[in-house]
Amino acid sequence: MMNKKFPLLVLFSLAVLFFAPFIGAHSISFSDVIGGGAGSRILLNLRMPRVLLGWLSGATLAICGLIFQALFRNPLASPDMLGVSMGAAFGAVLYIRLGVAFSLFGVIPGISLAAFAGAFAAIMALYAAGNIRRGGLSLSSLLLAGVALNFLFGSINMIIQYSGGYTDTFRMMRWAMGGLQTVGFAPALAALPGLVIIFLTGWLTGPQLDLFICGEELAQSRGVSVTTLRRVLFLTVSFVVGISVALCGPIGFVGLMCPHICRRIMGGGHRELTVCCALFGGAFLTACDVASRTLWAPAELPVGIITSCLGSVFFLYLLVTGEK
Amino acid sequence: MVNDILEIKNMSYSADGKNILSDISFSVPRGGFLTIIGPNGAGKSTLLKCAGGLLPCSGEVFVEGRGIKGMSERERAKYIAWVHQGGSDRLPLTVRRFASLSRYPWRPVLAGESEEDRRIVGEAIARAGIEDLAERTLSSLSGGERQRALLAAALAQGTDILFLDEPTSYLDYRQQVEVMKLIERINTEGMTVLMVTHDINHALHASREILALKDGKAVWRGAADSLPVASVLAEIFETGFQFFRGDGQKRPYAAPAGFVS
Repeated sequence: MMNKKFPLLVLFSLAVLFFAPFIGAHSISFSDVIGGGAGSRILLNLRMPRVLLGWLSGATLAICGLIFQALFRNPLASPDMLGVSMGAAFGAVLYIRLGVAFSLFGVIPGISLAAFAGAFAAIMALYAAGNIRRGGLSLSSLLLAGVALNFLFGSINMIIQYSGGYTDTFRMMRWAMGGLQTVGFAPALAALPGLVIIFLTGWLTGPQLDLFICGEELAQSRGVSVTTLRRVLFLTVSFVVGISVALCGPIGFVGLMCPHICRRIMGGGHRELTVCCALFGGAFLTACDVASRTLWAPAELPVGIITSCLGSVFFLYLLVTGEK
Repeated sequence: MVNDILEIKNMSYSADGKNILSDISFSVPRGGFLTIIGPNGAGKSTLLKCAGGLLPCSGEVFVEGRGIKGMSERERAKYIAWVHQGGSDRLPLTVRRFASLSRYPWRPVLAGESEEDRRIVGEAIARAGIEDLAERTLSSLSGGERQRALLAAALAQGTDILFLDEPTSYLDYRQQVEVMKLIERINTEGMTVLMVTHDINHALHASREILALKDGKAVWRGAADSLPVASVLAEIFETGFQFFRGDGQKRPYAAPAGFVS
């Protein structure tokens, strides 16, 4: 049964999506759009693709966080904890360090492809680690293995950065801060399949996740195939996070915060929460991006700084209040 | 119709090179109530999990004459409901919501909670006598109330067989009586019960049959009122017992001899 606040959430998310393109260093009015001048071109080529990419990525990361928190039965789990982000960063810094330049069909930049390859390598390494032992690693061990992998890739990335020149190191650092700067709709279109996949995954496995958070044995005895569920969710979330990080860089804490906020405000089962996380996560990252574009205008802050700043405070709040 | 609703044949289980269960066979008739007793580490809970298909064991398990090894988890959950030991004391779900999750095996993948689901959940809560607790969260309930809520959730699963793993652990005496009365009533209404307990008196007085385990082997199995209590209990628990009988009662109460002055 849908919460009474749900229509408000839909309205909020759509309002953010609609108004965000008009806000920025260069303010755009409706008459500019109709007039077809520079404002119109900024809106169509820069702002709208950026807002769309932000909304899609925010929605994706929030659903990924929701699923991971249920899967690990851990309120502090987030999709960037399993080494996927650092793996993607490894691909990106290697791409910059090697000085290569290519793109896919001229629209998806090579750095995104390299980052996705890095994320994929991290997923496979973690998956292999989880299957070396007979019966597989427990979820908590898998989480710790992910944290270890994060540190491993982090240290390799630092070696590559350390060995690079000033310009390369600067590019690497900027990439690692995350950002939604884009020209044209190609990155947003590339982000769309990730959201569709994770939304369907969250929606279809919602009832199973409701049982899973009650305990693996209980879920199994109520008819959930927990081994398959764990495997499918781990791989799907990691893959989708890989796409997101490849396109926007590592944007922290969206996946951690949004599920908690949705649970508190909306409640309900994981099927309903999947919808709420998509709406709220999309609006949240888009709003953070608007802040990053306007707080220091005409300069821009990387959006990852805004989300991490808010996220760190929220993280501390969770720890201090003992949120379960 | 198959008379034995549950049949376990030659069940063995080992972990880390150690035999936990060795060649155990037994069956439970439709509407029966069998309790597995034994000391800590005898393999009671493992046997229950193997019988319910939650652990991969060698041997065969048949429910209603059908082998469960070929069944999916979802299909198996239409035959056997569980009340597990612990783990639900911190869940922030309401009793009604928790019970409605038990309808999962019956729901089509794309469907939500149906009117029929709501009716069955309501009936299960009423059967457990906890209508007044239906909107309370599990984490806010006392131990006895929570066990009754877990039993209501198991009833909502709509199965003919109920597995109970130490249902009276951590409960005070009044709560133990309430929960055991409810379990007896559920059994009387037709549910087949397989229970694991460390409490010999619950086994002796609530169940119809007893299976005594020691070191993963079946030591004795038979009707509860024909159990040679002194010898069997002394053998499996390795301590002496004294027995008391209430007026007109056929089955005795047992207490470890060391505690009786």
